[in-house]
Amino acid sequence: MKQKLAIGLVLGAAATAALAGPIEDQIRFRQSAYSFLGWNTAKIKAQAVDHPETFNKEEVVAAANAVAAVANSGLLGLYGEGSAEGTGWKPSRLKVEYFEKKDEVKEIEAGFIAEANELQKVAASGDVGAIKEQFGKVGKTCKSCHDLIRVRE
Amino acid sequence: MKVEVHVWDWPLRLFHWLLVLSVLGAYLTGKEGGDWTDWHARFGSAILGLLVFRLIWGFIGNTHARFSNFFPTVPRLFAYIKGDWHGVGHNPVGALAVLALLSVLLILVGSGLFANDDIAFEGPLYSLIDKDLSDKLSGWHIRAVNVLLILVAIHVTAIGFYQHVKKNDLIKPMLTGKKKLPGTLAPTAVASVGIARFVIGVLLSVSVVWYVWGGDPLKYLQPLAGIQSAQAGGKIQ
Ligand code: HEC
Ligand code: HEM
Repeated sequence: MKQKLAIGLVLGAAATAALAGPIEDQIRFRQSAYSFLGWNTAKIKAQAVDHPETFNKEEVVAAANAVAAVANSGLLGLYGEGSAEGTGWKPSRLKVEYFEKKDEVKEIEAGFIAEANELQKVAASGDVGAIKEQFGKVGKTCKSCHDLIRVRE
Repeated sequence: MKVEVHVWDWPLRLFHWLLVLSVLGAYLTGKEGGDWTDWHARFGSAILGLLVFRLIWGFIGNTHARFSNFFPTVPRLFAYIKGDWHGVGHNPVGALAVLALLSVLLILVGSGLFANDDIAFEGPLYSLIDKDLSDKLSGWHIRAVNVLLILVAIHVTAIGFYQHVKKNDLIKPMLTGKKKLPGTLAPTAVASVGIARFVIGVLLSVSVVWYVWGGDPLKYLQPLAGIQSAQAGGKIQ
């Protein structure tokens, strides 16, 4: 019992460390998470919007599940103090203004999560038209966040 | 005595108003994103075609459509400022605005073709360059939008100023093609639009847009050129 508790404590501490992490880790996780999102959204766009003749339900469902999972993973936990100036895989493109616009971003994030969850449901139905429409809504939430707090290259 | 003079030829007017609609469409769909990105690319491509047409028409169009007719050279600008300019088409300062608008639209289309939004939207030439460069061009694309907004505001304000303060209606001539001018300024003969020139302009514009989207216009243009040279050859004999 004591042993289990000890292991639990150690794991908990490790998890907290990973959560708060050195700032570079946060930025790397953040950039990886968004890149992974981009991979999945590109796949849905290709199969449900641009070339519906290539639509593969299994792949689109997998992509929509991944988007929803990442959306629900608490990404705003990776926006620690100082993470706008740091470098992850590459210099971060988070605007410093983020820290004054946290409330607005929280709202955008909530919308993003809701639309991603809905996309997951719609994808499971296999209705290409409905997926296309819902995918457009998800894309808008990505864009509204980028327009607000992502540095323009 | 004032006479009615034909100033703007119909392809130029058609170009102007189609451009207004396409720019409005591209602007709104670009801001909206999401489902509308497909339409953004369509409006953008329409603008590409229109710009190519305008560049061609600037050399083979009717008198007042030609760049040589209204190019704002330094002497022309000075003459205009001193009040000595008595032309019929664009005045030299207006011409500066026209050229600035066309240039920023060229930059917008040029960058848009290679741009990406990191979500699910890419210009048709995106894959020709590397991602970093595409990201940079996407940033410039959006900056150029702001420059365009400023130029459009100047353009519209200036026309409003002419309309209400100088009592010089510039809008109606862009619709009907006709301006009321002092008899002394009226050109003697007004050429009609050369249909062949218009068709060549349209064919080339469509070809450029089609090529950008992966088409092969040469396949269709070559036989056409063949027919023409065959005809020309026939006449000579
Ligand atoms: C809460 C705001 C927010 C939302 C919502 C959001 N992003 Fe981002 N995204 C960012 C920020 C901030 C960055 C820059 C991260 C950095 O460099 O530190 C970014 C970067 C990216 C990148 C570049 C990653 C890299 O480093 O190469 C991609 C791709 C991306 N986002 C795609 C998406 C997609 C797709 C969606 C929607 C499914 C989305 N984003 C939703 C804020 C957001
Ligand atoms: C073939 C031509 C064009 C293509 C392929 C194209 C492509 C793109 C792409 C990929 C983006 C996303 C960039 C990003 O989010 O980083 C974008 C955004 C945008 N474009 Fe274009 N574009 C074209 C022409 C134009 C033109 C002519 C206009 C002028 C009205 C325009 C206005 C906009 C606007 C307003 C945005 C959104 C900017 C924002 O998010 O605030 N585009 N375009």
